[in-house]
Amino acid sequence: MISSLFWIVPISALTALLFAWIFFKGMKKQDPGSEKMQEIAMYVREGAMAYLKSQYTVVTKVFIVLAVLLAILAFMGVQNPFVPVAFLTGGFFSGLCGYLGMNTATWASNRTAEGSSKSLNQGLKIALRSGAVMGLVVVGFGLLDIALWFLLLTKVIFTPEHMATGLHWLGLTFVQKGIDQHQAFVEITATMITFGMGASTQALFARVGGGIFTKAADVGADLVGKLEAGIPEDDPRNPATIADNVGDNVGDVAGMGADLYESYAGSILSTAALGAALPVIVGQGDYQIKAIIAPMLVSAIGILLSIAGIYMVRTKEDASPKTLLRALLLGTGGSSALILVVLAVMAWANWITWGVFGAAVSGLVAGVIIGQATEYFTSDGYSPTQGIAKQSQQGPATVIIEGMAVGMFSTWVPVLTIVAGIIAAYGFAGGFHNFATGIYGVGFAAVGMLSTLGITLATDAFGPIADNAGGNAEMSELPKEVRERTDALDGLGNTTAATGKGFAIGSAALTALALVAAYMEEIKLWLGRLADKSVDGYKQIGDVLFYKSHAPAIVQAGQHAILVTDAGIKDFVSAYNLSLFNPILLAGLFIGAMMCFVFVAMAMKAVGRNASRMVDEVRRQFKEIPGIMEGTGKPEYAKCVAIATKGAQKEMVVPALMAIIVPVVTGIIFGVPGVVGLLMGGMTTGFTLASMLNNAGGAWDNAKKYIERGNYGGKKSECHKASIVGDTVGDPFKDTCGPSMNILIKLMSMVAVVMAGVTVAFSIFG
Amino acid sequence: MSKYIYLTCTPEALVASMLPPQGFGMYLSTGTKKRNKGQTIFFEVDMSQIEKVIDLESLNKRCVAKEDGSPKSSVYLSVYRVLETIPTSALKSLYLTTDHGCVLELKKAPYDKSQESQKALHLYQELCPVTPLVASGLPPSVFLKRLTDNSIPIVLPKLFFVELKLGELATNPLSGSAEHLPYSNVGHLRDCLEILRGEYEKHMKTVQRIFSGTLLYRTIETGFYVGSKDEMAFYPYPNMKQLEDINYEFFREI
Repeated sequence: MISSLFWIVPISALTALLFAWIFFKGMKKQDPGSEKMQEIAMYVREGAMAYLKSQYTVVTKVFIVLAVLLAILAFMGVQNPFVPVAFLTGGFFSGLCGYLGMNTATWASNRTAEGSSKSLNQGLKIALRSGAVMGLVVVGFGLLDIALWFLLLTKVIFTPEHMATGLHWLGLTFVQKGIDQHQAFVEITATMITFGMGASTQALFARVGGGIFTKAADVGADLVGKLEAGIPEDDPRNPATIADNVGDNVGDVAGMGADLYESYAGSILSTAALGAALPVIVGQGDYQIKAIIAPMLVSAIGILLSIAGIYMVRTKEDASPKTLLRALLLGTGGSSALILVVLAVMAWANWITWGVFGAAVSGLVAGVIIGQATEYFTSDGYSPTQGIAKQSQQGPATVIIEGMAVGMFSTWVPVLTIVAGIIAAYGFAGGFHNFATGIYGVGFAAVGMLSTLGITLATDAFGPIADNAGGNAEMSELPKEVRERTDALDGLGNTTAATGKGFAIGSAALTALALVAAYMEEIKLWLGRLADKSVDGYKQIGDVLFYKSHAPAIVQAGQHAILVTDAGIKDFVSAYNLSLFNPILLAGLFIGAMMCFVFVAMAMKAVGRNASRMVDEVRRQFKEIPGIMEGTGKPEYAKCVAIATKGAQKEMVVPALMAIIVPVVTGIIFGVPGVVGLLMGGMTTGFTLASMLNNAGGAWDNAKKYIERGNYGGKKSECHKASIVGDTVGDPFKDTCGPSMNILIKLMSMVAVVMAGVTVAFSIFG
Repeated sequence: MSKYIYLTCTPEALVASMLPPQGFGMYLSTGTKKRNKGQTIFFEVDMSQIEKVIDLESLNKRCVAKEDGSPKSSVYLSVYRVLETIPTSALKSLYLTTDHGCVLELKKAPYDKSQESQKALHLYQELCPVTPLVASGLPPSVFLKRLTDNSIPIVLPKLFFVELKLGELATNPLSGSAEHLPYSNVGHLRDCLEILRGEYEKHMKTVQRIFSGTLLYRTIETGFYVGSKDEMAFYPYPNMKQLEDINYEFFREI
């Protein structure tokens, strides 16, 4: 029964990929528009592909180096032997999703613009279904990778025969001799979780590189094109305008896709690992396997509901912005409502407990609240953003002060929501007394939040497609009514992008917390392995002797011995002194908090440097290319794309490597307490900082747009000039640094999980 | 190729051109090489009514197509004290351009003095021949007459100005909301308006002596006025909804 139900997982994954293919083909069949529209789209597509090619070249080199290092660690016996391969598959699938999403988005922009010339509904449909390609490939490949690994490990590697005799190859131990089924599932889920590090690493490069690229292009286009040369936005005479459009795809399609791919996979895998570690319940033999498969099953059904939700979205011709938003909410809300029904059925069928059902509901509700709060704090329909616009009357300084204040103040909603979500999920699932089940519930909250990612990400990717369609319509000088429609779609895309950012950081926080819990499971696993390998047959941590096969012969006064597989979280807390009064843990906490700020600073400086290269290039082109302003000379778009790309690749390596190296070094120096402190410090600071950066940036942006709509004098007024300063400051906040925080906190957790063996084996002080 | 005569307000000049109004506006704003930017305001002038004012022979000699056949963009016919020499009736449509050369045509319309509010305060940006920002308790037609009919010691021969939005300050200078007014020193504006409401009779108060050169098109209240004494031409300015329908490009750029 259980193994039969599991097949829903790969079937749903393949269904997602099939529908992604159908939506892609459907989009390609649409009218691509006039020659000029196709030419502009071609420039953007070529730029986007050139960027991806360059990024993947750099990332491949980094992946090869890291895979070799992981393999060396595996041969040293401090790394799971599957990790090098799992790491590569995670990175490969994440990269593939980025490529497919970007490819689709760049084919879709001119078709959306052309579709909008027929009707608003047609434009909406093309943009959303093209965005759905990204949403569905992310969930499809994410779940397919999980399903393939699960099948490989359960059916080929951890067979009864291998468990009895052990599996060794090339001097590496893949299956230890004599482990039971329960232990095998712990090993399997712990192995699977490591593929998340590949996805995390890929995501970090996509987010940081993409963020640096997009802002350099944006600043180059605005500063020289708009302010110096005085030509409007999306004017084809501006050499940086194509790079600007490429940047929208790079940041919000590939970057967001990779980010959520990682959250999606990370939440399922960490919850499965926590499920595998649940204590055995006497008389319920299938309890463990149900707990492992449940998050996969919910995600699989979520895919089918996402596809149904995509078909629910349609609108009328004279739709207002609110009607458009309602049309999208019908799809996302409808899918979420249906997933609740599915979860209730699973609880009724005793597949999950009603407590876990409550935990998943907590996650879903938290996701909705955070998304709506982001909309409230960043939309110009509400007082926070209007307050920033009002402060523009005093000049740019007060715009900055007010924007910072709005960003900082706005953190209370996501923080308290996540706090409430965690407590509720923990309480529902574990009743405040069972830690293991409670933390499994927290993982399930993340799974619940991300279960309908297929359609949520579709609405996110819809934003840059609509934005590019607007740019295409503008550059192609399409009639007023078409641009009014693409403007309406663009406005809707801005809203979904804002709520999407809130959703991304909320899910990242829950995923990171589940990963931290899974980290302790990984520590437990490695303590067992290292105890087995040691001469004495145990591993001493503090006053606790952890053993796996045989109890130590001598236990001195003040010490006590524990069978690793029986050890609970309290035993580890006691052994490692995971207390806030442990200076080593506190040191890690400080380093984690500091990491977020240093990372943001590095990203901001990188944006500044790359933007100045771009500015120089755009200035050069305006100066040297004859007839560029009259429209008779053609700008060298590709050169701008190449400069932004090269700069982004150069700038992203150091911050990305820092995020990988710091958890390893912290582990080696400060051990488990240091790493736990690092992850907790990084998670709490990173989550709050990301919320602040995203919301402040979004509010500044929309305060400027509010003024541009005629308030406080409209364009060219002193208020407008002040608001432009705010928007410029906010750009790297919301498009580079804030989104990168999501990945940073997840990647640090993932690296800690993967490097748990190194930490346990080599730590100096911990 | 046809020839057109334009009266530009910044600077005050009479210009002949072979470009029609849309092209001339683009040219004035962005230049031949499109390397310039800046808004401009100009009238098209009925040539038949000013034949006695201009040197037609010189005009025909200078305003000819270029060697490559392209039209001549501008030939300056006169500068300084030009507006006063052009009969108000000779002024055809008024054109406003954005920084990027997008042009909006405003047509003359009959002006109904009976609709003028006698109680509210007004804010006028004078555009030609002088350019202060003036608050006044006088409605447009009375304001124009007072500044041009010799009843006060300092007068102008003719005046071109635009009425700007005051919002609630028009009726409540001290505590009315100035929420969406873009003026740089609202406190000073309130003071000026309050003086006009004072006990002794004062009809005008200078708010700002020098015009920045940029008119915020979204702050225009009723429209543009030009003339002297009892002769006044009115160019109504559409509201934003109408503007969006009439000229979407212009609407997006302002």
